[in-house]
Amino acid sequence: MSERIAEHPILGKIEKGRTVKFTFDGKELEGCEGEPIAAALKVNGVMVHRYTKKTHQPRGIFCAIGRCTDCVMVVDGVPNIRTCITPLREGMNVQTQYGVSPLTFEEQAEKYSR
Amino acid sequence: MKRYDLVVVGAGPSGLSAAIEAAGRGMHVIVFDENEKPGGQLFKQIHKFFGSKEHKARVRGFRIGQELLEEAGRTGVEVCLRATVIGLYQDHELVVRIGDAIEHVKGDTIIIATGASENMVTFEGWTLPGVIGAGAAQTLMNLHGVLPGKRVLMLGSGNVGLVVSYQLMQCGCEVAAVADAAPHIGGYGVHAAKIARCGVPFYLSHTIKKAEGTDHVTGVEIAQVDEHFQFIPGTEKHFDVDTICIAVGLSPMSQLLKMAGARMADDPKKGGQVPVCGRFGATSLPGVFTAGDVAGIEEASSAMIEGRMAGAAAAAYLGFMNEDACEKREKQLTDSLSELRQGMFAPQNKGKQLTVTDEGIPLSKTLLTKGYVSDEEIEAFPGFTHRVGVHPVIECTQNIPCNPCQDVCPKNCISIGDQITALPKVAGGAECVGCGMCVASCSGQAIFLVDEDKGDGTAEVTIPYEFLPLPAQGTVGTALSRSGQPLCRASVVQIRSGKAFDKTNLLTMSVPKEFAMRARFFRADKEAAK
Repeated sequence: MSERIAEHPILGKIEKGRTVKFTFDGKELEGCEGEPIAAALKVNGVMVHRYTKKTHQPRGIFCAIGRCTDCVMVVDGVPNIRTCITPLREGMNVQTQYGVSPLTFEEQAEKYSR
Repeated sequence: MKRYDLVVVGAGPSGLSAAIEAAGRGMHVIVFDENEKPGGQLFKQIHKFFGSKEHKARVRGFRIGQELLEEAGRTGVEVCLRATVIGLYQDHELVVRIGDAIEHVKGDTIIIATGASENMVTFEGWTLPGVIGAGAAQTLMNLHGVLPGKRVLMLGSGNVGLVVSYQLMQCGCEVAAVADAAPHIGGYGVHAAKIARCGVPFYLSHTIKKAEGTDHVTGVEIAQVDEHFQFIPGTEKHFDVDTICIAVGLSPMSQLLKMAGARMADDPKKGGQVPVCGRFGATSLPGVFTAGDVAGIEEASSAMIEGRMAGAAAAAYLGFMNEDACEKREKQLTDSLSELRQGMFAPQNKGKQLTVTDEGIPLSKTLLTKGYVSDEEIEAFPGFTHRVGVHPVIECTQNIPCNPCQDVCPKNCISIGDQITALPKVAGGAECVGCGMCVASCSGQAIFLVDEDKGDGTAEVTIPYEFLPLPAQGTVGTALSRSGQPLCRASVVQIRSGKAFDKTNLLTMSVPKEFAMRARFFRADKEAAK
C-alpha cells in the first residue's frame, strides 16, 4: 500500500535507523529503528490502528505529530500510546486497540460478561 | 526549582530565534519543546523561502532550521526536548512534563512561541484512516521518508495545500485534484502554477461530500457549493484516491497564555484566540512575551523576526540591553518585518479580493480559479518579454515580497527596484548569458529561459525541474502547457544541476518554435523514463 521513498529529489537519501523486527497483532514485521511506530506500520500497509470504544469505528494516522491521539495503540501491553511520536524499538509488541484493550470487542464481551 | 533569565516555550522558528537573540545578549536561556527534535515545522519545509536576502530568501526551510540550531548551539541556548509545558502560573512559574516526570521551572522572562495547530473540516467519513492533515503528509514524507499515499486529493488551496501538493508529487505521489470551498485559490499564484502545469486540476467552490471506504479511504466525492457553501445537487465528482489531505488553515495554540490570565482577543484575521500584544510581542502579563503563529497566523519568515523582537524585548526588560540599543535593534527588526508584510497577501489584505496589481495590470482570473495564467493574460506582465536570443521569461503576476531574481542575475537583466513587492521586469539593453541562476533561485519557480527561435524551426525552453527520475539529455517526451495539457513533442537538450542551484535542476527542452511561449513543463515518455 505505502512505500518508503527510496530517493528524494531534494532530500536525497533519507537517513533511517537499522532494520529491526517487531510484532503487530502477533505477526512479525520489519521497520527502521527509531522511526515512529506509525511510519513502520504504514510501510507495512497497516492503516487501522484502533477501533473506537463506543461505535467501533476504525482510526489511523491523522495529525502525525502527537496532537490528535487518533493513532493510539497498545504497545508492549500499555494502551493509548501515540504511535506517531513513539520511536520503534526492536522486539516491540504492537497491538490494535479496541476501545482501550488489545482484546477484540467480542473477546471483551465474552471475558467481562461472566 | 530551576530558575532562568528566559524560558522559551516552543523550539520552532520563532522560539529558537527568540532564544538566540536573548542568549546572544548574555541571558541564561532554556527552550522547552514537546517534540523529539527541535525546529518545529521548519524541517518539513523543503521548498525555497520567499523574501529578500536578509529573510533568507531562496534558502530551503530545512536548511534555515539547521542554521538556527547551529546558532542556538553557538550562543549557548539550552534546548530541552520531550518536554511539554503543561502550565503557566503566577510569578512566572512553569510546570513542565519531561518524560514521565513533572518539574517546576521559573523564568524571569517568558516567551510563548507555541505555534499553531491545523484546522479540520468534517464530512461523511472524515475519521476514516487515510484522511490526514497536510502536516501529517509533510511529516511522513519529509521527515520519515514514507509515502503518505499513492493517490491524494488535497482539500485547501492556501499556501499549505499548494506547497504540500507539490511536495507530494516530488516524492512520487499522484495528486488527483486540489479542491477548495472558496471561489478563489488562497495561496500564491506561483505555487498553484507549479502544480497546474504538471496537470493537477483545481476545483474551486468545491468541497468534500464524503470519504468512501469501510476500513480506510478508497475514494472521495466532492461537489460544488453555492455562495452560502451549500452543495449544489448534480455537481458531484468522484476520485479514486487512497488519501485525503486536509489543509484548511491553522489556529494559534494560545492556551498557555489564556490559562496564565493574559488578555486575549478573538481575531479571525489572526486565526482565532490570540493574546493582545503591545510592542514586540509583550502580552498583558509583565515579562511574558509571545512570537510567531501563536500571536497570529503568518509564516516562518515573519515568525523568525518576531522571535528576534521578543528576545530583544525580554533582554531589555531584564536590563541585559540598554534602552538605546534595544530601540535600535527593534527598529531594524520592525523594518525587516514590515518588508515581509507587504503585497497582495499581507495580513492587512486578508480577505480582500484585489483585481489589479500595484502596476495596474489586471490580475489573472484563470490563475485564481484554475491555477495557471492563460496565454492571453500572461502577455500583459512586465517579466513576459519577447527577445532575440536566450532571455528570461518571468511569469510572476502577483505582488509578493520577494526579490532573489534581481539579486542573482550577474548581468542585471532583472529589475524589481526598491519596492520588494513590485513585479520583476526584464531590463532593456542588458544581455542575458543564459546562466539560469534566476530560474533556480525563483522560489515560486516562475522564471524560464527561452530562446524563441534557434533558426531551424525550433525553440529552447529551460524550466526548473525538481522531480525524479531526472531525464537524461536526449530524452524524448511531451511538453506541457501552463495548464498541464500536452502541447507537442519535446526533447531534452541539456540538464544542469549546479551546486548553486540547490537541487533545482535546469532542464532545457527543444520544442517547435510556435510553442516557445507556451511549453512550461516536460514529461518524459513512459518507456524513456525507465
